[in-house]
Amino acid sequence: MSGFRLADGGRIDRRTKRNFTFDGKAQWGYAGDSLASALLAQGQMLFGRSFKYHRPRGILGAGVEEPNALVTVDRGPGRITPNLRAPSVALHDGLTATSQNRFPTLKTDLIAVNNVFSAFFPAGFYNKTFMWPRAAWEKVYEPIIRRLAGLGDSPTTRDPDHYDATYAHCETLVVGAGPAGIAAALEAAAGGGRVILIDEQEEIGGGALSDPAQWPWLEEASAKLAAMDNVTVLPRTTAIGHYHQNFVVAAERLTDHLSVDEAEGAREKLWRIRAGEVVLAMGAIERPLVFEGNDVPGVMLASAAKTFALRYGVAVGRKLVVMAVHDSGWRDALALHKAGVNIAAIVDMRRDVASELIEGARAARIACYQGYAVTGVSGGQAVKGVTIALAGVGKGQKIDCDAVLMAGGWTPTVHLWSHAKGSLRWDEAWGAFVPDKTHEDLRCVGACGGAWDYGKGLSGGLLPAPKPLHDSKAFVDFQNDVKARDIGLAVQEGFRSIEHIKRYTTNGMATDQGKTSNLNGLQIASGVLHRPVTEIGLTTFRPPYTPQSFGAILGHHKEALFQPLRKSVIDDWAAAQGAVYENVAQWRRARYFPQGSEDMDAAVARECRTVRSAVGVFDASTLGKIEVVGPDAAEFLNRMYTNPWKSLEPGRCRYGLLLGEHGFIIDDGVSARLAPDRFHLTTTTGGAARVLNMMEDYLQTEWSDLDVWLTSTTEQWAVIAVQGPKARRVIEPLVEGIDLSPEAFPHMSVREGKICGVDTRLFRVSFTGELGFEVNVPAEHGRAVWEAIWAEGQKHGAVAYGTETMHVLRAEKGFIIVGQDTDGTVTPDDAGLGWAVGKKKPDFVGKRSLARPDIVAPGRKQLVGLLTDDPQAVLEEGAQIVADPNQPVPMTMIGHVTSSYHSATLGRSIAMALVAGGRDRMGETLHIPMPDRTISAKVVAPMFYDAEGSRLNG
Amino acid sequence: MVEIAEIAVSAAELKLGTEPVQGAGVRLSHAGPRSRYSLRARDAKVLAEVVGRTLPGKIGDQAEGVICLGPDEWYAILAEDTVLPRGEGLPVSVTDVSSRALGLVLEGPAALAVLSSGCPLDLANMGVGRATRTVFETVEIVVWREAEDRWHVEVWRSFATWLWNAFLAAMPGAHG
Repeated sequence: MSGFRLADGGRIDRRTKRNFTFDGKAQWGYAGDSLASALLAQGQMLFGRSFKYHRPRGILGAGVEEPNALVTVDRGPGRITPNLRAPSVALHDGLTATSQNRFPTLKTDLIAVNNVFSAFFPAGFYNKTFMWPRAAWEKVYEPIIRRLAGLGDSPTTRDPDHYDATYAHCETLVVGAGPAGIAAALEAAAGGGRVILIDEQEEIGGGALSDPAQWPWLEEASAKLAAMDNVTVLPRTTAIGHYHQNFVVAAERLTDHLSVDEAEGAREKLWRIRAGEVVLAMGAIERPLVFEGNDVPGVMLASAAKTFALRYGVAVGRKLVVMAVHDSGWRDALALHKAGVNIAAIVDMRRDVASELIEGARAARIACYQGYAVTGVSGGQAVKGVTIALAGVGKGQKIDCDAVLMAGGWTPTVHLWSHAKGSLRWDEAWGAFVPDKTHEDLRCVGACGGAWDYGKGLSGGLLPAPKPLHDSKAFVDFQNDVKARDIGLAVQEGFRSIEHIKRYTTNGMATDQGKTSNLNGLQIASGVLHRPVTEIGLTTFRPPYTPQSFGAILGHHKEALFQPLRKSVIDDWAAAQGAVYENVAQWRRARYFPQGSEDMDAAVARECRTVRSAVGVFDASTLGKIEVVGPDAAEFLNRMYTNPWKSLEPGRCRYGLLLGEHGFIIDDGVSARLAPDRFHLTTTTGGAARVLNMMEDYLQTEWSDLDVWLTSTTEQWAVIAVQGPKARRVIEPLVEGIDLSPEAFPHMSVREGKICGVDTRLFRVSFTGELGFEVNVPAEHGRAVWEAIWAEGQKHGAVAYGTETMHVLRAEKGFIIVGQDTDGTVTPDDAGLGWAVGKKKPDFVGKRSLARPDIVAPGRKQLVGLLTDDPQAVLEEGAQIVADPNQPVPMTMIGHVTSSYHSATLGRSIAMALVAGGRDRMGETLHIPMPDRTISAKVVAPMFYDAEGSRLNG
Repeated sequence: MVEIAEIAVSAAELKLGTEPVQGAGVRLSHAGPRSRYSLRARDAKVLAEVVGRTLPGKIGDQAEGVICLGPDEWYAILAEDTVLPRGEGLPVSVTDVSSRALGLVLEGPAALAVLSSGCPLDLANMGVGRATRTVFETVEIVVWREAEDRWHVEVWRSFATWLWNAFLAAMPGAHG
């Protein structure tokens, strides 16, 4: 009472057996089989359980449209792939496949109780039921729904496979290698241009693979294509999506069709193809019919049964009934009959059917029921028979059978056409949308272009039935368990657009993206609403065409190559010293240098004390640097930054504050004027690319009249900061040609000369409050100069310090870090940097916004210092601040902690915070409620050490 | 909570090779030190006079190591220690970026495929001698087709380790 292998026929290799397992049970098939055909040949009709009701389901289609037979394939640890469609899984030795969504077994599924109570689970059930009580959502509803939801199991181990990727270019890309696609490829190739022909199946041929009469032609055409060196043929390759300007992304499966032992190299390869012309030859997918019992295992598409018989030599049953509304069902029935498959009857809703089809059926002794419809299917886990009735409402009569073939007409596969924003028009004859206009160099050929002769037919998928719609169990979307009556309910609840009906019912929202359900859903909605299909709308197809692995999409961007990790030229030295790192943007930076068993606090305390008492060396190479050159360089900077730049003398430095148009701080840095027409800018590490882009943007769009050019020099210079009272003594012996005396080389100035024999731009700047220098040398000399400075520093007790110590030292001085003490809503005045805004400047980026009413309103959050009453309590960065800790929750939060550290120099904690009206609260005690206690702290100026700045002079 | 094992090799452990690597039909090596300049000007004639060289006029053209990258932008890859005058006071920008980038060389019949694995340009149609700024996956590069099967690739220093290893991953038979 089920499928079996036909005595002959098919493209399988009957001499080569393939052993595999399904749900742990040993099975076999032939080379050339799909998992679906091999199991059907063994009599297996039950392939899976449906998503919502756990109804038993069998095979519906023979291609990627298959919604039911989703399986998990296990290729060893880390190589478990769920949700593969059984008809698209090539059989190989040792294939280990299991069914999904069943508990505990495919045959006995306890959650199928959902099916019994399905009347209580209509469309929108979840939305309506789990609304309240609100508190139950997190603890009760979500965990339960999560357990029921989803298909297949997520991976729990690392994927050991690697994935390949490439770009490719061609004059003509043909998607789909059926007869139309092959013809298009041959024609294009004859012109001499590069041609790529891709097809998702195991071998090229498309529909011709299910038509033995075309095999000689196919063989000849394949050989011709293979012989042409301007043609690349890619089977097992799915065009996932079409993007702008004929950019098509495709995933090639390289090893999944091989046994684990044979698989070598990359598992998949991502093809990113730019094509002059794209020819879509993606064919069409047959539509199911919507009638009571259309989801019983054994009810499938007529085209699928034909493919199983003619391509794989498998009969899907011993006695088949065809339910057609389209000529193609008759043609398939006759082809099946010819292949030795027993067709008991052809039922067709139409009274008028072409006479040659009827004669053909009669000659084959197939009973014909014109004007009839199937009204019911008997059988639970396999078809036992059907009930048919005249016009669907007459007296029912039963026909015994073990499979039912549906021929509901054809839907052109317009997915990629739609990705390309090609328009569609409704075609009455097809009962489907077909390609209309496009602005890409793109065309459709064959069935996907509506140019294929499948014969004539009706276009509505819903068969008339004796039961009212709201009582029927006629399925539209098999994967998401959407019934015709759910669509009726959606309309009844007021939904009119197909976009809303789709989301309410989830029709077409499963992993198959409604390949077999969209059109039927649309037609049913149209019927219920009594409005033409074109007024109901059409849902949008989006990539990927079929589900893809993340591995294929990532390509080489996996594990170590996931993204570049940038290291400075001094990084290796730091690693050898045992540095602990932190990532800043794409860079990794030494955070601190622990000695012995030191933890971070101990290491940072030692580094801080040594910088303040002697000297420290810090790798500042990652700072963004931009060389601004040209006669208008000063004018340009004057417009970009808040403070005046034109008056800056060559050889001097200035702190620059950069705002966005909104008036908020977005970057800062110290910059130097090297010559009247040349500046050396620095930016924050993370802001380098952003600032350069912003400046380029202004130059190109606002001030294209300025003669000034920007060059990123971030990687040109290695930067070694030497900070501390002994800094001058450390570099003195190494520097040539620069007078380092305080008089000749004051704070905030720059000199060019030599250090260790190489060119340097030597800055006298300080981000620590100590006497400080920043040594810029060409990057390839950075390591050697660092080591020379380090060796010299050893004579003065120097430490190498990292970003954590840098943060503490600058916080002691109240210097901000953009992005830590600012969050994109902080103005210069908020940050206490009003002094850096040129009051007399006519304009600069962000100036107008600084006069906006809410920017000048009182009560804005301002940067202040906080000293905890308990000097050892270190506040948590990000902690909220309240004025009155006795308020009931939720309290009024007046700000938050932005920076907080233990200061070894001060022997206590320090913090900076943004607090509403902060500068008017000096001396006030505020409160920071934490889970276990409330910490009180006094508001102070954000300056904890050496307020007069005397240490800058060493 | 699912525990995912550490990856075998992390990005931090990748090394920039120093010795050439030979794969099937492709060899990866360092180009060696060069003098590099970013050259900018509204008027190419003024700039050409300053640097004393011919500037190619079309984007993608290259002449004696000077590549036209944009309407007002050239990039010079010159012999080590070449020094160009700065043209102070003139409406030009001559900026020494010798240390900013490293030059890698891919050569051999399979070099094109390795470069095309991550570069979106139609490199097969790029004429010998032409050069352009582009990307390899997410990393900016300048590609110069020095000969039919020899490609000079400029990459900013800190991205070189990633690029070297990405090339190795795309090189058949290479185990750097």
